[in-house]
Amino acid sequence: MSSTKKHGHAPSRGLHFNTGNGETLQPLDIGHPQYIGLIDPDTAFWALIKKDELGHALTEGTFLQQYRRKAAKFAAEMKGFRFGLAPSAVYFNPTDRCNLNCDYCYIPESLRWRGEHMSQEKLFSALAILKRYFRKSLPKDVKPQVVFHGAEPTLNKEALFAALKEFERDFRFGIQTNGTLLDDADLEFLTSCGIAIGLSLDADIESVASRTRKTWHSESVYAKVLETMERLRGYPNYSVICTVTRENMHRLTRTVDFFHHKGVPTCMLNPVRCTREGARALKPADHAMSPHYLAALDRTYELYRETGRKLVVANFANVLIAILAPQARRLMCDISPCGGGRSFFAVSARGDMFPCSEFIGLTAFKGGNLFEDDIPRVLETAPFCQVTSRKVEEIQPCSRCAIRHFCGSPCPAEAHEMNGGMDRSGAFCELYEEQVRYGLRLIADERHEAYLWDGWDKDTVTTLDIASL
Amino acid sequence: MNSLEKKGSKEKKIIATRKGCKAKGTGLSHYVLMDEKKK
Repeated sequence: MSSTKKHGHAPSRGLHFNTGNGETLQPLDIGHPQYIGLIDPDTAFWALIKKDELGHALTEGTFLQQYRRKAAKFAAEMKGFRFGLAPSAVYFNPTDRCNLNCDYCYIPESLRWRGEHMSQEKLFSALAILKRYFRKSLPKDVKPQVVFHGAEPTLNKEALFAALKEFERDFRFGIQTNGTLLDDADLEFLTSCGIAIGLSLDADIESVASRTRKTWHSESVYAKVLETMERLRGYPNYSVICTVTRENMHRLTRTVDFFHHKGVPTCMLNPVRCTREGARALKPADHAMSPHYLAALDRTYELYRETGRKLVVANFANVLIAILAPQARRLMCDISPCGGGRSFFAVSARGDMFPCSEFIGLTAFKGGNLFEDDIPRVLETAPFCQVTSRKVEEIQPCSRCAIRHFCGSPCPAEAHEMNGGMDRSGAFCELYEEQVRYGLRLIADERHEAYLWDGWDKDTVTTLDIASL
Repeated sequence: MNSLEKKGSKEKKIIATRKGCKAKGTGLSHYVLMDEKKK
């Protein structure tokens, strides 16, 4: 085989990094006293090398040969992960409505106020359609997931709970709820079925938590959410989202303390999604948020050291996993194309299908209707393809960013609405730079396991472990 | 050798690891998939 055919159009054998058909290796200052990072951004390969050994490592070491033996495999892994998955989850809004009016919500106010509930009959019909679809599209040993989301799904509680019972063998169910409408009997039902429950609380103290999350009459729901959290203490299958804005970022460390004290097993510290105007007004500058965010991560480590109990910050854990084991990610927001429209899709209370919940309310991104259209055809519509074809290689400055496959430039809805197009970056950038650098520092210091779920890697195999230069 | 030199000699010159698995990712940032555990 000629050099041209083996290595592409250019007649280069790829013997040298950073030229011809050789791999790209970008140095990355991770802010560590001893180590510097080296990344091949296309394959998401990384190495941390002692700073005073870098020259030797690149010119006389054997580590590059060890990597080169795996490079094609890693490239294929990334290609398969980014372009080869089929949907295995649906984010389903059984109602458009919500009893709260949170400032940053991605569902338009008019829908949350006046939207419709899906009837039980239609909900059962929708789940039957999804069941048939997933039976054809997924391997037999993979159970699809349905996450009831919103808006506030428990406003349609009767239909919702009936569906959870009726289809309990067919799906893994989850529910993201504001937690204000669940009584003891409801929680007993949900926990006895092993339903994954997500709550939301934006701060440790009421005065701050209520700035962004409140009723239509601006009343606080802090006490009610705390009540629900207390009832869920000890239930391992629940998490709490804290949406980080300029209103609460100063209290992130205290919020982490609070969650840990309350026995929360997993939380998310989600930078506010800026798809809608109300959220954009709350967005802090990346460089303002980053120190508070990293300090909160530091605090989770301290708490683990002090108590032996982890509080996993799931969105950061996902970034760590993106570095350590790219295919083991649980969340699909920080990869491009993201999971919207390809790993999962969203269904509104009318059965309208969108690539992701962030697009509900953006009518141009409706791909079809679950009751009227064939799901595979909807996945191929222009609105869906706009999202599923969004690649960092076609976005600036992402196309030359070393960490582009640890970040993914989220989110397409944000990019489209806030920055003018799907080919633009999302709302945050420097925050991701700092998260990745922090994650690599943890790896350098062998502290990263404290930030991850126990057994996070049980289904993985080690494919690279370079121990010498 | 003093304590600082001892510490330095234990530090690896390179750390480069990767794990592989079947892709599982389905979640979005508004919700995190938990492992299936009952109370």
